[in-house]
Amino acid sequence: MVDPILEVGGLVKHYPLTQGILFKKQVGAVKAVDGVDFTLHKGETLGIVGESGCGKSTVAKMLVNLERPTQGLIKYKGEDITKLSGKALKSVRRNIQMVFQDPYTSLNPRMTVGDIIGEPYDIHPEVAPKGDRRKKVQDLLDVVGLNPEYINRYPHQFSGGQRQRIGIARGLALRPEVIVADEPVSALDVSVQAQVINLLDRLQSEFELSYLFIAHDLSIVRHISDRVGVMYLGRIVEIGRDAEIYDHPTHPYTQALLSAVPVPDPEAREHRERIILTGDVPSPTNIPSGCRFRTRCWKAQERCALEVPALAVPAEFRHTSGPAAHDSACHFAEEKQVVPAEETE
Amino acid sequence: MLLEVRDLQVEFRTRDGVAKAVNGVDYAVDAGETLAVLGESGSGKSVTAQAIMGILDMPPGRITGGEILFQGRDLLKLKEDERRRVRGAEMAMIFQDALSSLNPVLSVGDQLGEMFVVHRGMSKKDARAKAVELMDRVRIPAARERVKDYPHQFSGGMRQRIMIAMALALEPALIIADEPTTALDVTVQAQVMELLAELQREYHMGLILITHDLGVVADVADRIAVMYAGRIVEQAPVHDIYKAPAHPYTRGLLDSIPRLDQKGQELYAIKGLPPNLMHIPPGCAFNPRCPMARDVCRTDVPPLYEVGDRRTSACHFWTECLNG
Repeated sequence: MVDPILEVGGLVKHYPLTQGILFKKQVGAVKAVDGVDFTLHKGETLGIVGESGCGKSTVAKMLVNLERPTQGLIKYKGEDITKLSGKALKSVRRNIQMVFQDPYTSLNPRMTVGDIIGEPYDIHPEVAPKGDRRKKVQDLLDVVGLNPEYINRYPHQFSGGQRQRIGIARGLALRPEVIVADEPVSALDVSVQAQVINLLDRLQSEFELSYLFIAHDLSIVRHISDRVGVMYLGRIVEIGRDAEIYDHPTHPYTQALLSAVPVPDPEAREHRERIILTGDVPSPTNIPSGCRFRTRCWKAQERCALEVPALAVPAEFRHTSGPAAHDSACHFAEEKQVVPAEETE
Repeated sequence: MLLEVRDLQVEFRTRDGVAKAVNGVDYAVDAGETLAVLGESGSGKSVTAQAIMGILDMPPGRITGGEILFQGRDLLKLKEDERRRVRGAEMAMIFQDALSSLNPVLSVGDQLGEMFVVHRGMSKKDARAKAVELMDRVRIPAARERVKDYPHQFSGGMRQRIMIAMALALEPALIIADEPTTALDVTVQAQVMELLAELQREYHMGLILITHDLGVVADVADRIAVMYAGRIVEQAPVHDIYKAPAHPYTRGLLDSIPRLDQKGQELYAIKGLPPNLMHIPPGCAFNPRCPMARDVCRTDVPPLYEVGDRRTSACHFWTECLNG
């Protein structure tokens, strides 16, 4: 196996909760991310799914250095970037770029499209010498499927889908190797989502990009991802190749999540088993002991409150080579097909 | 028929011109039936609902034509105080964003109880008891203790349950739910949709479910009305439409859902963008984006063709579309 382009180990982000104005004392912490490990290879797409508050966006922010991790490593091509500063950090950041969720708030309304896409060149002038920039920006507009003549327009003159293309062009400006896309299509209309997904797909093969693709729409994640990680309350509870996760999930949370997704086929209504979870996600300030999913899990037993399940191939599948043999953090992992069987491949 | 909307037309007068948000909408809902209104933003699905409820901002909105028959009466001919008696008591609405739809400075008990005080003339004490009962009904744990809590003290799913409780309070005959689960996570969405479906069965209410999610529609709807640029382009029983759509827009939406066997391939995408409502294209509004468009589509507005039992399509070439 080739070395991964990105390696994340034991990543933790805790936001302290303080009390008192003059003498601040820490009374607890919001454990947004609480021990996340994964790797990303060149040209690969890793999808991260999970409900709001599970920490998926915080992971994204740490990868592009918008947040400093409390603990843990983020290795880019073998080098830990969490300790870097100054010049070294700047040059690494060039290679990991982000596409944001909301194309309405992530573009400065007072800047022209050309200035927005070209701004990264002010910070990294080595990528494009001054005289070259306009041409480069126009090329980028063309690459993302916008008319290069729009370079002097302002964001409000574009639709949501077009703005997201502008955001993507900005992400591409520095020729990064990794793109972190945090819910890049969820703010878009259904008929426009497919266009943007196709664009991301095309750009990946054109520029050999690696994607960390964060979304809550499970069918879109499956379409675009090679591997998928499922997050719950700050941790990855199950991770594997897309078919392993979707067709052979072994973690009860993944099973519940998949079964809750409405299937766009009225015929499936009658003969599908739905796992309806009770209650809400616990607060990240007060994470349950042992397995963090146990308060909503129908399989929970005493052991689950005592022992934290490790993210590894469960013992019962360790000696098989079947699709159930992938990492799952559950003491009582068992394979269960929850999505109506469809022909694979 | 519980509710019949006939040829409804709504426009908004803005500084930049007149936006034609609803251009002749017809749909009907029976007691106990779920009609899903499917459409993208700007398709007019919410504006139609607001016109039915009588909560359209006027001005800038203006109803320029049509009628809304509710249990035989034309709501558009009622006076405002008569309309107010219908609203809440006979038809109620559930909004997408529970946090901004609930009053942040009143306890949920007061907000739920208000319905009974205003419409039924109950005492505050009785109304409070009713509020607890309702919160139990929508399965909010420890309702008796939580009735004094404020909206921000509840989670998103619980807030949406309070919205549902409020809509159900006076046992209306019709509920309009405008994207009731869009702001919720999927596991919570499943809980809320199940609750809504169960209560609907129990009270035999008509339900208009406004959504853009083809999955939710397939799960709960009896019939679907697909809206585009202020018109219903196709209306059909739910099974028929997923099996064989009779309008190219519906077909495009269904085709753009990622399917397993398409992994690694390009997704089907409807080209272009939804039209600006101030400049709706002549002829069929969908023609600039339609793969089947011909000359007639650019000049003639397609009428609603009967394409089957309780099934209509606004496409000149519906037979072609229906046959794939």
